[in-house]
Amino acid sequence: MRAYLAKRFLFGVLTLLVTSLLIFSLLRVVPGGPVDALIGEEWDDPELRAQLRRDLGLDLPFHRQYARWLGGLFRGDLGVSLVLYRGEPVGGIILERFGVTAQLAFISLTIALLVAFPAGIAAALWKERLPDHVFRIVALGGISTPNFFLGIALIVMFGVGLRLKWGVGGYVPFGEDPWGWFLRLLLPAIVLGTDHAATISRMLRASILEALGRNHVLTAKAMGLPRKEFLIQDVLRTAMVPVVTVIGNSAGALLDGAVITEILFRLPGLGSLLVQGVYARDLPLVQSVVIVAVGIRIAVNLIVDLSYALMDPRIRYGRGQ
Amino acid sequence: MVREIHTTEYELGLHQTLLQEFWHNFKKNKLSLVGGFIVLCYAIMAIFAPLLAPYNPVEQFDAPPGMRNPMPPLSRDVDGRLFLLGTDKFGRDILSRALYGTRTLLQLAGGSIAIAMLLGVAMGAVAGYKKGTWVDELIMRTVDIMLSFPTLVLAIALVGAFGIGSLRIGPLVLSNMVKIMLVIAITYSPRFARVMRAVVLQEMAEDYVAAAKVTGASGFRILTREVLVNTIPTIIVQGSLMMATTVLTSASLSFLGLGLQPPRPSLGLMLNEARDYLFWGACCT
Repeated sequence: MRAYLAKRFLFGVLTLLVTSLLIFSLLRVVPGGPVDALIGEEWDDPELRAQLRRDLGLDLPFHRQYARWLGGLFRGDLGVSLVLYRGEPVGGIILERFGVTAQLAFISLTIALLVAFPAGIAAALWKERLPDHVFRIVALGGISTPNFFLGIALIVMFGVGLRLKWGVGGYVPFGEDPWGWFLRLLLPAIVLGTDHAATISRMLRASILEALGRNHVLTAKAMGLPRKEFLIQDVLRTAMVPVVTVIGNSAGALLDGAVITEILFRLPGLGSLLVQGVYARDLPLVQSVVIVAVGIRIAVNLIVDLSYALMDPRIRYGRGQ
Repeated sequence: MVREIHTTEYELGLHQTLLQEFWHNFKKNKLSLVGGFIVLCYAIMAIFAPLLAPYNPVEQFDAPPGMRNPMPPLSRDVDGRLFLLGTDKFGRDILSRALYGTRTLLQLAGGSIAIAMLLGVAMGAVAGYKKGTWVDELIMRTVDIMLSFPTLVLAIALVGAFGIGSLRIGPLVLSNMVKIMLVIAITYSPRFARVMRAVVLQEMAEDYVAAAKVTGASGFRILTREVLVNTIPTIIVQGSLMMATTVLTSASLSFLGLGLQPPRPSLGLMLNEARDYLFWGACCT
């Protein structure tokens, strides 16, 4: 187990390293960049340009620029924002923005799970009956509705139609107004969680149905175990392995949806920061956000893989195989 | 599902060509008929957009006295022209823009998928053929790394790298549309590469490949003439599944203002413009 952990961790770090190199070089392929963004493309003052490039460290050879950034990365220093938040350290900005995204993701995943579990289980137990039919139609709709459309529809309903103050987005810190905080995150969380709820519950339905047909479940049934007991003990536990994979995938993909949702509901999160950074051509900001995003994704994948071992006693890492 | 198994086992001899057999099976499944009909509608909308659209999607019309743009559905402009879905804030016909927007969106998604397939198939085929060598390792680890990016984040990062608008690399100028196709294609190519490698590995174990080897065919020839042909069905299925996600990704990019640029009609951008108006409306009320 320990060897496996070490191996996965090492590969994760390696992936991050290569990603950093990839992103760093990509963002420097196209000429212009931050200097143009700062003083404007039309402004033709070679001296000022040269001065600015020196100040920003953009005149150094490529590998030294990269080494500088990477060195900072290991010390936890992500550099300073060049355009969007002139001179402020990127690390602090990202940390602050990440908090909002994490809250959004947490609420959204909670809602998704709260909806997905009862729905998936009910659909599996009443297979091919009314609850199942309703479930399948709703779930298909949830998967095929684009985030931004659902978001706009909800804003039209709650913000414009019912004229609710929290219906049009915005963000209030939890400390200031807990209820307002929750209300304002509720709609974006629903938007973000809908297709994940649909995917998770569909997987749950399918794997419960599969588990119900397994031998050990039949045995438990034949032994006369109470229905409730074997449903929880045998069926759900077996069914959980593929479901956790899907939940992990969803958690990893939350940031994707967060980009759209945050812009739509004007939440100051990581996703909207990325888009603003791209607009402003703020290189240090963009590359750092991407690195953080990839890092989160890798960590989530690792946690998911480890959780298999907890659920399925047959899965053991690092021995045999 | 059960119905499908019945129909695929259905007496193959009865239907003369593959196409006829396909049509026979297709007709039997109600769900695929409905889906096919919807797809057909969109395809017609996209292909015949210039004929169906009542007005030029970028032309601006003046609202009659007492009204102003954006106008609600079924209103008329100064010269009495009818706008079925109304106009946007610049006085452009929404119906025409939606039709042209569908056209561009499908072009964009189709183009991206085509390029992604080319890239992915090439990567996967080489990796599968050179299985176990450093070439395979290099390609597949790159694929792994690309897959560890959240999709939209990768696409946005690439747009950030190439800049918004058209892309100039030396003498080569890529239009914004081609650039976005490239961005989406790069984002999705690793998925094709994974599938392709698996299929190539499977096919390489077949007897006909061994036969080709015995006759002394070169590696390139085996790969292109023998193996590739047999992987086409899998890749096509993968491609059509991906089409839906690329449509969403390109619409999302436009929605964020990082995709097609105005005044080009694009569905995502239209939604975003409408959203501005929505907030404005909400503030006013």
